This record gives sequence, structure tokens and C-alpha cells, in this order.
Amino acid sequence: MVLELLDVPGQLMDALNPIGRLGANIVAVIHQRDVKTERGTVPVQITIEGDKDTLNEVLNLIEKTGIEIIEVDGILRKEKITTILVGNIVDQDLKDTVNLLNKIEGVMVADLDLKMSDHPEKSTSRIVIEAEQGRKKEVLTKIKDIGNLKGFLVINEI
Amino acid sequence: MKICLMGFGSVGQGVARVFQMKRDEIKQEYGLDLELVAALDRSGAAINPEGLDLKLLLETKKLTGKVSKYPEYGEEGVSGLEVLDKVEYDCLIEVTPTNIEDGEPALSHILKAMGDGKDVVTSNKGPLALKFSELARAARDNGVKFKYEASVGGAMPIINFAHETLSGCKIESIYGILNGTTNYILSRMAKEGSSYEQTLNEAQEMGIAETDPTQDVEGEDAACKVVILANSILKMDVTYADVEVKGISQITPESISLAKKEGYLIKLIGEVSPDSLEVSPRLVKEGSPFAVEGTLNVATLKTDLADEVTVVGKGAGSIETASAILSDVISIWKTK
Repeated sequence: MVLELLDVPGQLMDALNPIGRLGANIVAVIHQRDVKTERGTVPVQITIEGDKDTLNEVLNLIEKTGIEIIEVDGILRKEKITTILVGNIVDQDLKDTVNLLNKIEGVMVADLDLKMSDHPEKSTSRIVIEAEQGRKKEVLTKIKDIGNLKGFLVINEI
Repeated sequence: MKICLMGFGSVGQGVARVFQMKRDEIKQEYGLDLELVAALDRSGAAINPEGLDLKLLLETKKLTGKVSKYPEYGEEGVSGLEVLDKVEYDCLIEVTPTNIEDGEPALSHILKAMGDGKDVVTSNKGPLALKFSELARAARDNGVKFKYEASVGGAMPIINFAHETLSGCKIESIYGILNGTTNYILSRMAKEGSSYEQTLNEAQEMGIAETDPTQDVEGEDAACKVVILANSILKMDVTYADVEVKGISQITPESISLAKKEGYLIKLIGEVSPDSLEVSPRLVKEGSPFAVEGTLNVATLKTDLADEVTVVGKGAGSIETASAILSDVISIWKTK
């Protein structure tokens, strides 16, 4: 599995502790501090052995500590969705746009780029969203709705 | 086979040229003798029941701009419907300019020909986008063949490809770049970092974009093709008004460069699926089948058995479009 840790002391220990406590066996830990996600967290790949029930318990316990699990058995738990908005981004309250996106269940804005143009009504914003696996289509439709509401041109993924 | 050609602009002249180039070859290969008995443009028509001389017809058009100046057989001011009554023919090729307001005059030409029991081949998107089911019914009721491969993607095979080559598959959705002009503009903007207005001007100077580019850049042309594909391939009963259309005129160089940073290109994509008919600028991955440049068209058909199949080809051009028309004529001949 791949976990997402804050880059502060003690985080790796917090993640590993429940594994040992529940009797699962740690086979490998790959921890590269210089590889970061968009939010500045560090992905850590951990391989563990144990029976199915124990492993499920481990996942539950880790999630309870507030540590994000990105991938289990090679399957991503979240997917990244990129979208570009063109329009009067700033005047239409950028914070509100982000809030509207964050309000969609299981969705979080992970990264945002803003490029101003000579014409403020033609500013561009690139937003990267993380959403729970399998909800892409629904999220894309919601983004389109928000764009229509605020008069933005929405350029979604295919 | 006696053929009546309505419309003698870029595509119509392409048809005449292709007939001229291939007539002997096609006669040998398929036993089909392509005989053009009438050609019509805005000025009137040239009609000869014994067959028009294609070289003379093309020359007359080039010199005078009017087919009605064709020596001896030219008729000034005659209408399309009159021509269809006057001349004996087997197949109508309808290539007058696309009109997405009411589909005329092509719609009347096609319905009249079908009513008279004639086969029809067309590249004209107007009637297809507005009255697809009516035309399909008229063809069925009159027992005539109706083919329109050239209306979508020019020389890129898609309609006959889906119906014949993929006939064992159910087509679940189609995504494609269905307009060459906008693809040219977006590709240039991505390469040069130039503005939309600047690039449009350049495309107009090169003859890639028309003086009034609205149909292309506002997505209307692509939307017509979405309607045709939805009706013909996905068997939906929809019309132009059912498509959600957004063009490329709001695309900024900044949006293209932000997309690039994430490994994406911006393309005008037509989407045909049972829950969405849409033309809009979309992000496509660099290196994906949609990352084609210039005036190329591309379409990916998602099927139930063969997964995804992608076709690419020249989306416009006089000879290229005429090639699709010629193939339609030959395939009608083969069923006779």
C-alpha cells in the first residue's frame, strides 16, 4: 500500500505502529522524502504480510489516525482530475469556487494555478482535484455546473 | 450509372476531377461507367443526357465561374428541382453548401430524388443534422440507397466503417476531433503560443478558415457531425438542438500553457454517447490518439467486443472529400 504522510517528525512511526501491534509483518518500507505530492506530503510505500482480517484491521486503524491511504494492492483509492477554467476567475470569487468544489462529497482541490491575462475576463485557472475512485464522471458534471453558474468556460478531461 | 451533381463548389469540382481521374479504372475494376449527365451551381446547370465532358465542364467553371456557360448544353437560371425533373439519372450527388437553418436547398433535392426512386449520395450536413429520421424513412419507403460518408470527417472513414467493418459490434460511444479548422488553430496556438485572433487570421490567409469562420470555430460544424453519428451509428433519434455546443473562441494562450504543464493539450472534441451529446474544448493527454495536429480529424469508437478503435484522416479538402463520395457511389453500384 502507499500512504501519504505529512513531512514532520514522528509521522512514519505513527503509521508503522499499528501494523506491528496487530501482528502483521512489515516486508518493506520505501520512504523518499524528496518525492512529494501536490500538497507537499510524502508518499510512503509499505509492503506488509498477514491474514486478510488483520490486514483490513490495519487499514482501518491507519485511516483512523488521519493518515491518507493512496493505494492498496496497486489500486488507487483516489483519482486525479484536472480541469481548466477560463473567465473572470478573480471577480467571481476564487475562494468560493474552491469551496463549491470541496463541498462535493469525496472531493478535494489538491492544486490550483492562476494565470492572469491582460483582460481580467480572460484569466485562466488550472485546478487539480482528487476524488474517490469511480466518481470522475459525476465530478466533471458538477464542475461544468459550477462553470455555467459563474460564466466560466470549462475545459474538462475527456 | 447516370449521375446528377448538385453543387459545383470545392467538393463538386473535386467529384468531377475524381471521376475524370478514375473513370477508366472503375469501369475495368467494377464494370461501373460513371456518367455525369447534369451539374448544377448557383448560375444554373449544364445538362447532357449523353454525358458531360468533365474536362470542358471544369474548364468552363474555372474560366467563367458558371457551369451554365457550358457550350451548347448550359442552361442559365434553372433550379435544382427543375433539373431533377428534366434529366434521366440513377443517382443524385448532393454537395451544395451546408445550411443549418433549414437544410435547403439540399433537403428538397434529396427528398425529391428519393421520391422519384433515385439513390442519393451526399456530403451535406444540413439536412442530415436537421431531418435525419425523415430522410432515413424516405429512403426506406422508396427503396433507395442513401449514403453520406463524406458528411463526417471528409476522407476519414467512420460511417461505413462502423456499419460494415464493425458490424458485429455495438458502438457504445464516439469521441472525436471532427473539425479540421479548429484543430489547425488549436495546434498552432499550442506550438507558437499565439493568440486565438492572430491564429484565426493566419488560418484565414491560408484558406484553412473561411472568411466567416463561425460554423467552424463556434463548434456548429462539429455539432452537425455529432448529430449524424448519433443517429446513424448509435441509432439515437436526435437533432441539432439536442447538442450542447461550445466553441474555441474563448481559448486563451494561458489556458493552453497551463494545460501543457500538466501534460495535456486542448482540442475541440465531439462526444456522442447515450447520455451526452456535446461539442466542447476538452483536455486530451499528450501522446494519446487525440493528439493529432494540423487539419487532421480523428475519432475513437468504443465498442462492446473490440474495445476502442481509432480512425484518423484528412477531414477536409476537395479531392479527399470526393474520395468518400466516390466510395459511396461504388458501394451503391455493388449492391445492384
